[in-house]
Amino acid sequence: MASPTTDVTDGGTLPVGTPPVTPWRDRLTPWVFRAPLVFMVMFFAIPMALTVVFSVFERTMFWMEPGFTLFSYENFFFSARLINFLDSMKYSLIAVAICFVLGFPIAVFIRKSVPQVAQHRVILLFILPFMVSEIIRVFALRPVLQRNGLVNSTLMDLGLIDEPITALLYSHTGVVIGEVLSFLPFIVFAGFLAMEAVPKYIFEVCDDLGVGPWRRFKDVILPLAAPGIFAGSVFIFVNGLGVALLPNILGGAGAVNAGLIATQAITALDFPLAMAVSAIMMATLMTLLWIGHKLFDLTKILSPLS
Amino acid sequence: MNDYDNPLLHKLKWAYLLLVVTTLMTPVLYVMYVSFNANGFGANAYVFTLEWYGLIFSDELLIGALRWTFMLAVVVTVIAVPMALLAAKYYKSANNKLFPVFLLLAPLFVPPDILGSALLVFFKNLNLTFVWLGDLLGTTIFDSWFRLSFLTATIGLIIYTIPYSFVVILITMGRYRPEQTEAARACGANGWRAFWDIEFPQIRAGVFSACSFTVILVFNEYTRTSLLKGGFDTFTTVLISQMLNTGMSPQSYAMSALVSFIAIAVIGSIILFTMLRADSLSRTARAKAEPVMS
Amino acid sequence: MTKGTPDMTSPRPPAVEVRNLSKHYGDFVALRDVNVTIGAGEYFVLLGPSGGGKTTLLRTIGGFHRPTSGEVLLNGQSVGHLPPDKRPTTMVFQAYALFPHMTVTQNVGYGLKVAGLRKDKIAEKVDYALEQVGLSQFTHRKPHELSGGQQQRVQLARAIVLDRDILLLDEPLAALDAQLRKDMCLELKHLQEQVGITFIHVTHNQEEAMTVADRIALIANGNLVECGNARDIYRAPDKTFTASFVGENNMLSGKIATANGTSAIVDVAGARLSVDTRGLHVQDGQPVNLSIRSECVAIDHADAAADAHSIKGAYTESVYLGLTTSHLVRLPDGTEMISRVISDTDDGLPEAGAPLRVTWKPSDIRLHVE
Repeated sequence: MASPTTDVTDGGTLPVGTPPVTPWRDRLTPWVFRAPLVFMVMFFAIPMALTVVFSVFERTMFWMEPGFTLFSYENFFFSARLINFLDSMKYSLIAVAICFVLGFPIAVFIRKSVPQVAQHRVILLFILPFMVSEIIRVFALRPVLQRNGLVNSTLMDLGLIDEPITALLYSHTGVVIGEVLSFLPFIVFAGFLAMEAVPKYIFEVCDDLGVGPWRRFKDVILPLAAPGIFAGSVFIFVNGLGVALLPNILGGAGAVNAGLIATQAITALDFPLAMAVSAIMMATLMTLLWIGHKLFDLTKILSPLS
Repeated sequence: MNDYDNPLLHKLKWAYLLLVVTTLMTPVLYVMYVSFNANGFGANAYVFTLEWYGLIFSDELLIGALRWTFMLAVVVTVIAVPMALLAAKYYKSANNKLFPVFLLLAPLFVPPDILGSALLVFFKNLNLTFVWLGDLLGTTIFDSWFRLSFLTATIGLIIYTIPYSFVVILITMGRYRPEQTEAARACGANGWRAFWDIEFPQIRAGVFSACSFTVILVFNEYTRTSLLKGGFDTFTTVLISQMLNTGMSPQSYAMSALVSFIAIAVIGSIILFTMLRADSLSRTARAKAEPVMS
Repeated sequence: MTKGTPDMTSPRPPAVEVRNLSKHYGDFVALRDVNVTIGAGEYFVLLGPSGGGKTTLLRTIGGFHRPTSGEVLLNGQSVGHLPPDKRPTTMVFQAYALFPHMTVTQNVGYGLKVAGLRKDKIAEKVDYALEQVGLSQFTHRKPHELSGGQQQRVQLARAIVLDRDILLLDEPLAALDAQLRKDMCLELKHLQEQVGITFIHVTHNQEEAMTVADRIALIANGNLVECGNARDIYRAPDKTFTASFVGENNMLSGKIATANGTSAIVDVAGARLSVDTRGLHVQDGQPVNLSIRSECVAIDHADAAADAHSIKGAYTESVYLGLTTSHLVRLPDGTEMISRVISDTDDGLPEAGAPLRVTWKPSDIRLHVE
């Protein structure tokens, strides 16, 4: 019988007690696995952090030069931009609330009443609209919401209205509709992940104890699913503030959010202003995530993943 | 559904779910509908035609843009998905999970215009730094580094797509039992071989989904691409600039519908495929396992 | 496939030698200065409570953990930090370790494929291994189409087909139900005798350990408590922990009253008991433990003559266990003693609280000093 231990002889010749010599390959391996993180630090974390630095640079005709000035921040906080920004926050919050009311029950329903094996497939249904370019979906809302668009013509054909509703497009309403339609799938995904924290037997226990749907939601589901709901809400809120397309295509006068201010600044070659807006947005995002982490421990969301 | 649920209510909930999905799809479906009308949007008469689609493929600019888009999608996928895979492997074994997970998921939360602007200014500065460095050393070879180009667009899109791949791969990895890797090591396979023979076949579905996601995301992306691309055009940038300049022309309806068709076809076939496969697998498994278990 | 009968006297080095092995996880000490030698061809069992460190020891031998200090020698050679695939060991895992995307044949043949064997050679060896574990008719099944016992047999086949010297088994039967576990125990024992390689088997189940083991090592709280032949561990435990973990022992604690060479008198619950010192050094007044297996304890009338091998108590209750019945007796200090007898009749049971005397043979009581 051939010796099965041929592998061992070369390794086994190590004299007893010698410190093991790690070949260069073994030392390199951990860094291969860290490469994505290094990449993310270099091209994501650092550029995002540098927005703060660039935001205090002096503006020149076509570019900027190192210096220290708070002019860009003044430009933002002491102008109509701040009003617009706060306004967009308000409408973004409204969109978050609508998304939650429309979308979260779907996540609960999928977890509760759809058989385990089919749950992921039902979730995939919500990926379908998300897979069509966001910009096309937003642009496509124009013919739908227009004066002579799908909604108005349908409602008029049904005889429900006599005059077309013009407030649907080129208005704050239009932006909110766009936000809801763009981001609704995310509250379903986040809610679905969050509902992992709510075991299915909870529903049976509640039925057994005679707990009604509202109390069940308020006392059991909401506290357990809070981290996921919060993460989904932050996502929608921040994107409502930051996606320039929505007010650009669907909004009217005064519908300007942070994303639009930033891109307009870039077009006007006012790079420090764009960086100031980015820095403000990042600060808003970080504050929200920090608050959420203190309140709910956001790492819980990932427990189903690890 | 539980035995004591109200069946009508259950059906109503399903109806609501499907209604929401349909509502989300309505604008796209409506665009598709309009794109086949010879008279375009808003006309009273509907005449079916493929004329507008013909126009797309005779447009030189558009064909060039399609080629760039395709290249971008392939390059980003080839880099981003393996990176997401490495990151997921790292995440699984890391002691401190908060840092990697924050770094890999944060791009999801950064709005496109903010990420695009920040990277644009970062790359411009990086480029100027390299030009200055080249001047000091008396060389011009650095001058093109990080000038807005295919490279910068690729980097921006990798940052954008990595969180999606990471999450998809991590979810499929969740079902993998690490004992199997140990068993493979005990069978004499080295780390790489154990991964390739044992773990990869089991997470392959996740990796492939991550690839198709990435391709679709890159294909659809407008804001980040247009800010970082430099000289060339992609499908969406051509489409949007046409829309912004001349409004929605019948041709832009056709273009929008076309990309939507492709995206839906890809994702739809993935859904169908996984459904059918899972069904047939569980059926054969049940059929075979039952006599054994009894 | 014969590997020669186990021969401990030959100059062949021991299969496994563990020297001063420690393993720390931060502040937690999983293994503390463990030394153990396992001969070639032995069936060796690591027995102990969950979380005691036995699996850590096994996995360190297999190369899945790096020792914090100390070393492992396999076949007389230090394996240093060699990864699992470079060691003469192979492993059978608790469960879930079959490759779900491969058939039984592919699973078993995987290690040979990695080793680069020719296809026909692989097929031949796989067939033989599957025959040994009695799975020849299931070759084309996928793991999820097999029962738990069959899955573990596939794992066994996958391990023995490699012809490695040392087979590590990490709680291989833990996921199986009681009856199946009993059958598989015997099969494991026969398989080991057949292939003649060293088996190292981790379990927390003492019955399983007794069935298969040539020798047993008890591991608890990161320490190797005691190591010896299976029978000796059961009949003549050395340490208090061994006595309390293996078998059903009555543990009595007391103080040495007088020690005189080979035997000692111990004060327990108001009685003076005589016990063999087994060469242990004891001093007067030293606290010690005594153990007596429950099947060696008999119940006598309360008025039976008092001697140094019996103790007074009050009857509590009886527990009928089918084959045996346990009689519970409370001693004056509150300690409960169990007398286990073959169940024959329910007649003549004393009433609860009735005084009686518990007796045993002088050779059945053991002294433990820690």
